[in-house]
Amino acid sequence: MDREKMVEELVKLVGKENVLSSETDLYLYGYDASLFRGKPDCIVLPGSTEEVSKIVKFAHEAGVHVVGRGSGTNLSGGTIPTQGGIVVHFSRMNRILEIDIENQRAVVEPGVFTLALKNALARYGYVYQPDPASEKVSTFGGNFGENSGGPHCLKYGVTTNHILGAEVVLYNGDVVHVGGKTLDNPGYDLTGVLVGSEGTLGIATKLILRIMPKPEAVKTMLAIYNTLEDAGKTVSAIIGDGIVPATLEMLDRLTIKAVEESIHAGFPLDAEAVLIIELDGLKDGMERLAERIMEICKKNNVREVKAAKTEAERMQLWAGRKGAFGAIARLRPNYLVCDGTVPRTKLPEVLTKVMEVGRKYDLSIANVFHAGDGNLHPLILFDERNEEELRKVHLAGSEIMKLCAEAGGTISGEHGIGTEKKKEMLFVFTPQDIGAMKKVKMAFDPEDIYNPGKVLPEIQE
Amino acid sequence: MKQEELKTLLYDEIAKCNRCGFCLAHCPIYTIMGREWATPRGKNALVRAIIEGKIGWTPEIEDTLFRCTGCRLCTQTCFPAVETNQGVLAGRACLADMHQYPKIVDRVVEALENNFNISDEPNEDRTLWMDFLKNVPEHMYQKEKAEVVYFVGCVAAFFPLVQKIPQAFVQVLDKSKVDFTILGGEEWCCGFPLIQMGMEEKMQKLVEHNQEKVKQVSAKTVVFACPSCFHTWKEKYNTNAELLHSTQYMERLINEKKIVFNNGFNKTVTYHDPCDLGRNSKVFDPPRNILNAIPGLKLVEMANNRQLCNCCGGGGDLEMIDPELSAAIAERKIQEIQDTGAEVVVTSCQQCIRTISGYARKKEIDLKVMDITEVVLEAMGS
Ligand SMILES: Cc1cc2nc3c(=O)[nH]c(=O)nc-3n(C[C@H](O)[C@H](O)[C@H](O)COP(=O)(O)OP(=O)(O)OC[C@H]3O[C@@H](n4cnc5c(N)ncnc54)[C@H](O)[C@@H]3O)c2cc1C
Ligand code: SF4
Ligand code: SF4
Repeated sequence: MDREKMVEELVKLVGKENVLSSETDLYLYGYDASLFRGKPDCIVLPGSTEEVSKIVKFAHEAGVHVVGRGSGTNLSGGTIPTQGGIVVHFSRMNRILEIDIENQRAVVEPGVFTLALKNALARYGYVYQPDPASEKVSTFGGNFGENSGGPHCLKYGVTTNHILGAEVVLYNGDVVHVGGKTLDNPGYDLTGVLVGSEGTLGIATKLILRIMPKPEAVKTMLAIYNTLEDAGKTVSAIIGDGIVPATLEMLDRLTIKAVEESIHAGFPLDAEAVLIIELDGLKDGMERLAERIMEICKKNNVREVKAAKTEAERMQLWAGRKGAFGAIARLRPNYLVCDGTVPRTKLPEVLTKVMEVGRKYDLSIANVFHAGDGNLHPLILFDERNEEELRKVHLAGSEIMKLCAEAGGTISGEHGIGTEKKKEMLFVFTPQDIGAMKKVKMAFDPEDIYNPGKVLPEIQE
Repeated sequence: MKQEELKTLLYDEIAKCNRCGFCLAHCPIYTIMGREWATPRGKNALVRAIIEGKIGWTPEIEDTLFRCTGCRLCTQTCFPAVETNQGVLAGRACLADMHQYPKIVDRVVEALENNFNISDEPNEDRTLWMDFLKNVPEHMYQKEKAEVVYFVGCVAAFFPLVQKIPQAFVQVLDKSKVDFTILGGEEWCCGFPLIQMGMEEKMQKLVEHNQEKVKQVSAKTVVFACPSCFHTWKEKYNTNAELLHSTQYMERLINEKKIVFNNGFNKTVTYHDPCDLGRNSKVFDPPRNILNAIPGLKLVEMANNRQLCNCCGGGGDLEMIDPELSAAIAERKIQEIQDTGAEVVVTSCQQCIRTISGYARKKEIDLKVMDITEVVLEAMGS
């Protein structure tokens, strides 16, 4: 369908000001936080479920692709319109529809920023647990699409454990409801299928979330190490001891340097690694648990353990962790995040190999990760304007993913597959496994309307 | 500015933007407009695309680049601290070079060339605000020599809603026995609007004139109640005189016991940090120290304050270019102010007052907005 006609039809559905199609707009919706580029045919900013449904129905009838977009912060090319089509940007659907404290639920539109809900909940002493580092700007639609995780997911689980239901627009424009407000819903767990599907199966227009009372007490500690290995061993030892802290985050030397240069989180510049260990829950017993952890740290040659004494000190530590990716950007203009997960016990070994890959390609690699989950985020630094370097970055990235897979891990903790890691899917899944996923895609979106070319690699059937 | 120059000056800066998107949550333009072109990320991407020759100077680029309040909240919250606003201003300079800009720009430039003020009124009228003042001395605050020059600024001099600022400030200075003068009809616009419109090269004449006048008066200090004049002088002027914002100067007068609060001020107030004073000139404490020194006054902070204070919507000449957008930003600001429960919002910038009380008036919102000079005057009493 030619673009003018498409725009004309869409304008009828959502109004002129909510359809963008200038050359400039097409350029601007061709990127996200990844390194990929595409070009949509036009962009629509719907204001309601009905509008989304009409847009999708129209797209389906016209045989045009549809790509959902929140803040475009995903790192794997999930919002890149690789095959053109309509980008549906949810910035106008940004209302918190309901906060139901008694039943511990909240209902939001997909364009709400994750942190905006948290701020609204704070007043009631409640929290929404998943805490991606990008939470101040990531949207619930994006969290839903990517099944986002964060430091506190070690204890509380990732997004999928906190989205209980959704209103979803199917490929033909039909609106359906999956899950609900209760923890266990009858029938197939379609919410589970849809969360993390990166906009390839359906588009969420409303989300039912689980919210929880704020823990009574929190204790945050910074453990400082002279070697990465000791830090890694501490992580295994803590979990091995049966303790599940709220977070167990690790930052290496290069990351520490970058963070300290941009904000002063109080990480020592001469350390090889730091762990941010947070405990939360009942006040009772917390000190004892903290002591047990300190014991373990000591056994593993910790240099020093500092506890945050005030909420401000605690926020400062977290500002450092949450700003780590961004801070890395101070060192070089760009970074590629390799998002992989390995069994915790393999952390030190895999890390050594990651650094070897860096040396092999002559690239700097900074490490910051959800150590408790064994979720690594090696960040490869470069300048995308240098093509030779860019080529090496992609090779190194793929090699690191392979390392994770070979160590018995997997290739994505939380940043999704998108366009970036499709071929690496075959490091962890057999063609049969992929085939099973393809059947799910066929069931939800037989005509490949939604976010084509993402997640699933081509396989011989 | 030519495109090649844009590349030399800003390519490396703009290339630091890795499209992470963290700035989206803060940018007042994006959070109102909700489209990618309104984001700092988008602005960087466009300037970069132009530098790389991937896109031409489309009309939309003009719209984008002229919609930025210069609040620099994006830079504040960006880890690589990308100076988006610099790219925006340089982009405007390129547009200016090609005569591609909003119509209003020509009017402002013309006014500055003919009358040396943005209101396009005879420059002698800069002192009309005194008409409403009792006990004006014979010299009409214009002396040949003085220790201090009070640089009034165009907006405070000409716009009725904010003439209360010079009216209050000269009284504060008088009561504190400061040897000061204003430049009256010899004060020319500081040049700030020209920087905003991408025509910095046109400001040289204004700069030289003002510098010369201050020299003639042999002033040791120049004081500004306008944060943008203050910031412009600090960045672009070359003078031996000490440059202070009214809040810094009044703080000093309080410490020297020249300002004494006989009355106090029995109200709960919140303080709004003007972008050009706070984030852009890093003056956060003096206004707070002043307010805290006033007997009876209770200061409560807004959810976002100091470095993270949200723009009122009036920065970067946005009010001239897109009044509706500016008003929408002001509306949100007012909400944040009201959430504090304060009875008065105090700021230290005539533009913030115009934007905030302008909107409140139009919508009949009951909100008391005061400049810090007014609060100080009231608290001093007689
Ligand atoms: C500096 C930085 C740090 C990050 N840290 C983390 C982290 O700690 N943990 C983490 O998990 N992620 C992290 N991310 C990745 C990213 O922020 C998250 O994946 C986030 O959830 C994406 O939200 P978004 O609104 O930007 O979504 P987008 O990027 O706009 O979209 C993401 C995916 O969701 C789909 N989608 C969007 N809206 C909908 C909808 N309504 N219905 C269905 N599908 C939809 C899109 O099509 C796309 O496939 C980080 C990113 C950056 C740049
Ligand atoms: S300007 Fe800064 S915060 Fe915004 S996208 Fe670029 S790097 Fe991220
Ligand atoms: S300076 Fe302010 S208005 Fe301009 S892009 Fe940055 S945040 Fe937005």
